[in-house]
Amino acid sequence: MSMLNEIDTEFENRNVFKPREDKVEIKIEDLSMVYQDKNGGEPVTALKNVNLEIKEGEFISLLGPSGCGKTTLLRIIADLLQPSSGKVTVRGQSPREVRLQKKYGIVFQNPVLYDWRTVRRNVCMPMELLGMKKQDRTAKVTEMLDLVGLTNFGKHYPYELSGGMQQRVGIARALAINPEILLMDEPFSALDEFTREKLHEDLLEIWTKTKKTVVFVTHNISEAVFLSDKVVVLSPHPGRVSAVIDIEIPRPRNMESKQSKQFYDYITKIRNSFEGV
Amino acid sequence: MMISRKEKYKVNLVWAIGIFIAWELLAFFLEQVIHDPMAAAKMPYPHSVIISIVQNFTDLMSAAGLTFSRAVFGFALGAAIGFILAIIMSLSKIAEKISLPYLIVSQMIPVLGLAPIIFTLVRDMNLSRIVIAAYITFFPVSVNMLSGLNSVESDKKELLYSYAAKKKSIYYKLMIPYSMPYLFAGLKIAAPMSITASILVDMLGSSGGIGVKLLYSLYSGTKDVFWASVVTSALMGILSYFIVILFEKICIPWRKQTT
Repeated sequence: MSMLNEIDTEFENRNVFKPREDKVEIKIEDLSMVYQDKNGGEPVTALKNVNLEIKEGEFISLLGPSGCGKTTLLRIIADLLQPSSGKVTVRGQSPREVRLQKKYGIVFQNPVLYDWRTVRRNVCMPMELLGMKKQDRTAKVTEMLDLVGLTNFGKHYPYELSGGMQQRVGIARALAINPEILLMDEPFSALDEFTREKLHEDLLEIWTKTKKTVVFVTHNISEAVFLSDKVVVLSPHPGRVSAVIDIEIPRPRNMESKQSKQFYDYITKIRNSFEGV
Repeated sequence: MMISRKEKYKVNLVWAIGIFIAWELLAFFLEQVIHDPMAAAKMPYPHSVIISIVQNFTDLMSAAGLTFSRAVFGFALGAAIGFILAIIMSLSKIAEKISLPYLIVSQMIPVLGLAPIIFTLVRDMNLSRIVIAAYITFFPVSVNMLSGLNSVESDKKELLYSYAAKKKSIYYKLMIPYSMPYLFAGLKIAAPMSITASILVDMLGSSGGIGVKLLYSLYSGTKDVFWASVVTSALMGILSYFIVILFEKICIPWRKQTT
C-alpha cells in the first residue's frame, strides 16, 4: 500500500478530482456510430443508442463477439474516434479535453512498444511528453517495473521479451503517468492461457493498489467475470448493450474464485443474455 | 537455414581463394596456351596486380584518398539534403506531390552529361566532385527515408496521439527513429554510387584522383597500373559500403541480428 501513497502524493497536483464513492466517471448518452462505406455500399451501424454509466474506481468490462462495437466504444471514449451522434462525458468534460490533459492510459491489443527503446525508456516515454524531470522519471520507471514484475528487464529491448512480458511493459507505460482512467483493448487476447491467467491476477493486484477506473474490452466471458465489477454485454448488428451484469464475487479474487459455483453461474447468465448470436 | 558467423567466414574465404585460383589459371591459359598478345590487358595475373598495388602503394593511396574524401563530403551533404527533403515531404502531402515527380526526373539526367555542366558552372574540381556525389546520394536516401516515414504503424501513432504529443515530439520520438533502418537502406545504396560519381568527375580532366590514374594508365599502356587502379576503385566502393554498415550497427542496436 505504501506504493499507492507515493503515487498519489507525487501526482497530487495533477489529480484535480478527489476519489469519491459512487461518483459517475464516464457517462455515455445515446451514443451511435455509423461507418460510411467508402465504396458506396450500405453504411455499417457499429453502435446504436448506447447508454452507460461507469463509476469512479470501477473495473468494467465491455464484452461481446466481434462486430459488437466494443472496441469502437472504447476508441470513442479515448477520443481516437468521433461518434456519429450522442455524447460521452468524462467527469463532465469531453473525451478530447481529457485526452489533452493526458489523463488516459491506453493498453492496446498489440503491446505497441517502440523497438528502438529499451524497456525502461519505453515506460519512460509518456513521462517525457509530460515534461517530468529526469530523476523523477528514473524513480518512477523503477517503481513501475517493480509493479509489473519486470525489475530485471529494464535494459532489454522489446524483441528480447516474450509476448506476456511485452504486454506488462505496455501496462507499466500506461500507468506511469498515473492516468485517471485505464483503457484496455483486448490486451491479453494474443497470449497463451497460462500467461493470461497469471496476468489476470497481476492486473487485479495492480488495480487494487492504484484504484484506477478501468474499461476493459474482451471477447472472453470468464476473463470478464473474473476481473470486473460490472460486465456490459454488447450484441452485434447493430452493436448495442443487451445486458449489464454486476459481478459480486468477493475480492480479492484468485484461482479459487474461478472454481466457485458463483463464477460459473455468472458465466451461464452472461451466455444466456446474448441476443441472437 | 541459419549459418553461424564462423561458417559464413569460412564460406567467404573458400570463395575468395577459389576465384583467385580460377583467375590465375585463366590468365595462364590466355598467355601461355592461346598466346594472346593482349593477355596482360584482358586478364592479368592476380598476383601481378597485387604486386603492382604494393609497388605503387603511396601513389595509389594519395589518389584514392583525394577522390574518396571528396566523395565523403558529397555523400554527407547529399544524405543531409535527402533526409531533410523526406521530412518535408512527409510533413506536407502537397510538398510531396509537387517535388517527388521532379526528384524522379532529376535522376533521369545522366551524370555523365551533368558533370561537365556542373564543372563549367563552379569551375572547381573539388566542388564538382562534392556536388555530383551529393546529387547522386540525395535521391535514394530521400526516397527510402520517405517510405520509412510513410510506413509507421497507426497504433504507434495513436499511442502518441493519446498523450496529446506535439508534432515535434511525434517526429523525434517515433517517425525518425522508426525510419532509421529505411534511411540506412538508402545510404547503403548511395555510398558506392557517390564514390563512382567522384571517380567520374576525376576523369573530366582533374589533376589528381584515382579516376585520373585509371585514364592515364589506360592510354599510356601501363596495364599493371591500370588494373591496380581498377582494384583500388572497387575496394573504395566496398569500403564505403562497410563504413555505412558500421554506422548502422552503432545507430540501430535494437535491430535483431539477422545478417
